Amino acid sequence: MLDRKLLFVSGKGGVGKSAVVASLALLAARRGLRVLVVGIVEGIGIASHFAAEQLGYRPHRVRPGVDALEVKRSDALDEYFRLQMRIPRAAPTKVLSNALNVLVETAPGVREIVSIGKPVFEVWRGGYDLVLADSPPLGQLFSYLRAPHTISDLVPGGAIRQQAARMDNTLRDPATTGLLLVATPEELPVLETRAALDRLEAEPVVSLEAVVSNRVLPDLETTAADLDELPAGSHREAAAHHLALLAQQRRWLAELPEGPRLPYLFGLRTAGEVAERLSEVWDEYL
Amino acid sequence: MTPRSLVITGGGGVGKTTLSAALAVAGAEAGMRACVVTVDPARRLADALGVDELGNRPTEVPSQPLLWAAMLDVTASWEAIVHQHAEPEVAQRLLENPFFRAIADRFPAAQAYAAGEQMAEHIESGRWDLLVVDTPPAGGGIDFFTAPRRMQEMIGGRLLRWLTGAGIPGRRALYRVTARPALKLADTVLGGPLLEEIAEFLLDLRSLHDGLSHRARAIELHLRRATSVVVTTAHPTPMREARRFFEELTPEVGRPEAVVFNRQLPDAWTKARNLRGNHIDPRLRTAVRDNLNRWADEVRRQHDVKQGFAARYAVEPIDVPWAEAAPTSVEDLARLLAAAPALERLLEG
Repeated sequence: MLDRKLLFVSGKGGVGKSAVVASLALLAARRGLRVLVVGIVEGIGIASHFAAEQLGYRPHRVRPGVDALEVKRSDALDEYFRLQMRIPRAAPTKVLSNALNVLVETAPGVREIVSIGKPVFEVWRGGYDLVLADSPPLGQLFSYLRAPHTISDLVPGGAIRQQAARMDNTLRDPATTGLLLVATPEELPVLETRAALDRLEAEPVVSLEAVVSNRVLPDLETTAADLDELPAGSHREAAAHHLALLAQQRRWLAELPEGPRLPYLFGLRTAGEVAERLSEVWDEYL
Repeated sequence: MTPRSLVITGGGGVGKTTLSAALAVAGAEAGMRACVVTVDPARRLADALGVDELGNRPTEVPSQPLLWAAMLDVTASWEAIVHQHAEPEVAQRLLENPFFRAIADRFPAAQAYAAGEQMAEHIESGRWDLLVVDTPPAGGGIDFFTAPRRMQEMIGGRLLRWLTGAGIPGRRALYRVTARPALKLADTVLGGPLLEEIAEFLLDLRSLHDGLSHRARAIELHLRRATSVVVTTAHPTPMREARRFFEELTPEVGRPEAVVFNRQLPDAWTKARNLRGNHIDPRLRTAVRDNLNRWADEVRRQHDVKQGFAARYAVEPIDVPWAEAAPTSVEDLARLLAAAPALERLLEG
C-alpha cells in the first residue's frame, strides 16, 4: 500500500477517513518515507489529527517526515493556471482571474479538477515518496475522480484538455495511484461503499487499493444465553449492548470485501490520540 | 397562520432524518397538523413512515392522522423557480443549458436554495401547525441558511457584472472593453469559446435576478423566524460540525435553540459496583467486567464532550438514548420521543 506514490482515501462522511489518512502518514514517516498529506477540500478536518491549528496551501511540517496542506480553491486555481497551464506572466492577471473564477463557479468539472490537481502536481514534482489525499466523501468522490473526463467532454482542445489527459493517465496508473475506501460496519456506510465499488468497476478511473473497515468492535467471549446467568445491572446491560452492536457489525462486515480491519478505540478523546493508536495497528498490518 | 418551524441540522449519520420524523409524529399525536420535509435523498424516512413515493408534494402518512411527509426534489424545484421568474423562452433555454444543470445539480447553494423555497411555500400555505425540515449533512446544513444570499450574489453578482459591464447590457454588448483580452486568452487556453458560452448563459441567468432576489429576502426572513436544532453524537466528526453550527449560524440566523445528543449510553455504566454472585463462571465474569470497563470509558468521554459543549455554548443538551434497532414504523418513532421527553419542548413556541 505504501509503495504507491498517491493514495486517495474516501468513504461516507463520519467513518474516520481523516484518522486513517493521518495514521498512515505517521506510519509511512516512521518507515522513512517523505510524506505529504493533502486535504482536497477546505476544512476537511485533517488538521486536528496532527494537532495543527489550521493548514494552509503551502506544505506545513506537522510531524517529522510529514508535511500537510489544505487545498484553498483560489490558490489552487492560481497554481493550476499559472504553473501548470503556463499562462504568460504578461497576461492581464486581474481580468484573467476574474474570468477563471466565473469558469470555476459554473463549468462542470473545473472546480474539481483544480482541487484534485494539487496532489497530482505534487506527485509530478516528485518531492515526496507518498502523497496521501484526504478526499471528499463518497457522494462527491466520483465528480472529483472523473473531472479529467468531464473536462475533456466539455472542451474540444487546448491546454486544459491536454493537461486533463495527463492527469487521467496518472490517476489510472495502478503503479502510481490507488484508492482506499474506509467504511464502518453499519448499514449506510456499507451500502454506499458497495455502490462506490460497483461504480468503480464500471468506470475504473482509479485502481482500488483496499476497503478498510474502521471501528470494528472486539469479540466478547460470551453469548446472549450466558448473560442470563448475570444479575440485572450495568454489567449485563453493557454486555447486551456490545453483543447487539457486534451482531450488526458482523452482518455488515460480511457485505464488504476482505480488507484491513481497524479497531473501535474506546474512550479516546482527541483526534491526535486516535491517529497515533491507529498507526500502531497499521504497523502490524503492513 | 404561521406554523412552528423546526430546521434540523447536524453532521452526517447522526440520525437527523429519524429525529425529524419523530418530532413530526409527536406533533401530529399532540393534534398539530404536521409536515416533515427531508432534503436527504435517503429512502429511510419513506420506509419508516410507510410512504413509498415522496416528492415535493406532501404525502399523507397512512398510519398517523394529521401527519404528512415530503422529500425535496431539487430538479423539479428549480424548474418551478425558473418558470416563475423568467419569460417562457428564457426559462426553456436555461433549463436546457448544461451549465444550468451543473449549477442546479451540484452547487450546494442551489440545492439549499431549493430547500429554502420549499420550506417557504409550506410556511406560506397555511396548511400546517408544525413544519419539520431536515437538512443535508455537513456544510450543506449551513448552506441552507446562507443559500438565499449566495444565490442572489451568484445571479446578480460581481462576476456577471464584470463580464457584462456594469449594467445589464444586451447580448451584443457582451465582449467589450474589459473582458475581451481575457476572453481571448482564456479561449486559447481552453481551446474553444467556452467562456463566451458561459457569459451568454449568465446573461440568461441574470433575467432571474429581480424575481429571485425578492423571493430570497422572503425566504431569509422565514429562516430567521424558524427554530434551528443541532443534532450530534459525541464522536469527534459530528462534534466538529455541531461547533460550526453554533459558531457560524449565530451571525446568520441567530443561535440554534437546542443541541440534541443522539445515541447516548447510560451514565450508570460508570458507577457500576462489582459483579456479585458466586455462581457466575469466572471467564464470563472477566469478559463482562472488561467489557463494562471499556464502555464506561466511552461513557466518560461522551459525558466530558457533552459537558464541554454545554459550558462553551451555554446550552442545555437534550439526550436521546441509544436504541438497538433503527425505527421502522410510526410506533417506533413515537417510542423514540417517549424515551427522550425533553424533545417535546421543541414543539412549543
